[in-house]
Amino acid sequence: MEKLVKNISDLVKDALSDFARSKVRTALTSLGIMIGVLSVVLLIALGLGLKNYIEGQFQSMGANLVLVLPGSGFTGEGGGGFGGQGTIGGAKFDERDVASLKRLSELDYVVPVFMKGTTIESADEKKFGYIMGFNEEGFKLMNIEAEAGELFTRSDVSAASKVGVLGNTAAEKLFGGSGEAIGKVVRFEGQRFKVIGVAKKKGDSEPDNAFFVPYKTTFGSINPDKTFWGIYLGVADESMIDPAKKKVEETLLKKYDAEDFSVTEQSELLNSINQIFGIINSVLIAIGSISLLVGGIGIMNIMFATVTERTKEVGIRRAVGATQKDILLQFLTESLILSVFGGLMGFILASIIVLVVRIFFPASINLFSVVITLVISSAIGIFFGVFPARRAAKLPPIEAIRYE
Amino acid sequence: MIKLEHVSKSYQLGDTEVKAVKDVSLTIKEKEFIGIMGSSGSGKSTLMHIIGLLESPTSGKVFVEGKDVSKLSDDDLSRIRNKTVGFVFQSFNLINRFTVLENVLLPTKYSKDGVDFDVNVKAEELLKRFGIYERRNFFPNKISGGQQQRVAIARALMMSPKIILADEPTGNLDSKTGSEIIGILSSLNSDFGVTVVLVTHEHDIAAKAKRRIYIKDGEISQKYI
Repeated sequence: MEKLVKNISDLVKDALSDFARSKVRTALTSLGIMIGVLSVVLLIALGLGLKNYIEGQFQSMGANLVLVLPGSGFTGEGGGGFGGQGTIGGAKFDERDVASLKRLSELDYVVPVFMKGTTIESADEKKFGYIMGFNEEGFKLMNIEAEAGELFTRSDVSAASKVGVLGNTAAEKLFGGSGEAIGKVVRFEGQRFKVIGVAKKKGDSEPDNAFFVPYKTTFGSINPDKTFWGIYLGVADESMIDPAKKKVEETLLKKYDAEDFSVTEQSELLNSINQIFGIINSVLIAIGSISLLVGGIGIMNIMFATVTERTKEVGIRRAVGATQKDILLQFLTESLILSVFGGLMGFILASIIVLVVRIFFPASINLFSVVITLVISSAIGIFFGVFPARRAAKLPPIEAIRYE
Repeated sequence: MIKLEHVSKSYQLGDTEVKAVKDVSLTIKEKEFIGIMGSSGSGKSTLMHIIGLLESPTSGKVFVEGKDVSKLSDDDLSRIRNKTVGFVFQSFNLINRFTVLENVLLPTKYSKDGVDFDVNVKAEELLKRFGIYERRNFFPNKISGGQQQRVAIARALMMSPKIILADEPTGNLDSKTGSEIIGILSSLNSDFGVTVVLVTHEHDIAAKAKRRIYIKDGEISQKYI
């Protein structure tokens, strides 16, 4: 054991002494691996960040949420567009659907949701935002609370009052603060609405940039068809999700074909989205891996040069008793150190970049990236090092020793 | 301790086959001091490499301490080179990126059975014996040829080999330094009982050997007892 440790430390010392003599070459060789690892780790970090971000958005909506969406949802092709009007085929839900769902005892809340992206204007400012039409229960379902003013009520909905609640970011941009926005007027699509409340910040760009209005108020020039892009349903607790889904499907099947709508719970949606991200991530990592491959070839190239340069040394070592295996290990150690060094540098650089990016975007580095870095860079070192090292080991001693 | 039986070695040089060693049979006994003489190209170096297990013969057999080496693996041959044989070359063959001390210690790194002595103490003893202890932290290209050859001898002795194979050890040295080196080699034989095989083309150097073998065109032409 002690001998093994000594052998390894000798190998590493030998390798390092050679690197110390050719610093520039060592740095350049490692650079290839560094860039490869950097790109792979960064892509993983950004992918993870994006995933966390979207999961966060979902969690900011209430739990025990069941979504009724047109088309076959996210699980299949031709799914209704998320965040749009769901116009790509499928059902267009209307007030009659809402009414029939309201009759189901399994559901606590039935919230029709109308959504449209548009430019919202105050007296002095303009901002892109979302008009979200729903009923007063929507606030509970989406965990929206008032920071200033108040939320609209059931009577506002039935009266189709021209009032609304502004998202926090939108209020900040349009009026310079949540308090300042109360009682003011916003305009969009030729309509004027009074701001009666400003929502607390959710940290989620859609609701924070939204203007929530009673859904009935949108009927007219904004939503002439009187349809909804989806219906959000709330159930009392998790155990109710499955029976509720079943009932909802039964109810809607009376009117629509099975492929015209989908009833999904949040976790299903999340799974589908995670699947999509899994694919995107794999593609990105595959692209990053190309630079790792190129880096590995760089190492192989340099190691071949090193072997040629040190042919005489190999001969001398063989003459004093080095076995082929000793020589093989010597050169493998060098390529391994080169690539692991490059890998670590790439990882450190990626961590620094992620720390900076975090200010704007929730990128994150996890244990997986660390493991990937070490495993990939060692694998490259061994894989691309083994050919040059074998050439060195197989050199006939006497020819090697005569080599000048 | 080393026995060659009808050993031949030929190389392929382009289309022609060059016979460097032709049917040489030779026995080297323990504690002998043998001079192998021959002009350049006579095949004496090749013969030494075969004796030192750096090359294998095309035909014939080599026995080291009774063992037929043609049946040994690379690991076994390396082990014999490490423990039993010490080489001294014309061009010293030190590793220039290692210090003198590191060069002398090199064989100990490849000792598979471990060593029963303190390697640093022994290396320092050898360096002191050959008057190069003060140069121990120098790199080989910063010391004189004579000093380099002493380092090479110290390295060859590091594992206490039974036999030293010296291939033209004075070839790159002036005559005064050369005779010092020969003095060291013969004292290894007379004072320490190390078998020495000295390959040279110079008669006055070969004269120091107790037995001389003449090689001409790859063959032993005369034997002196």
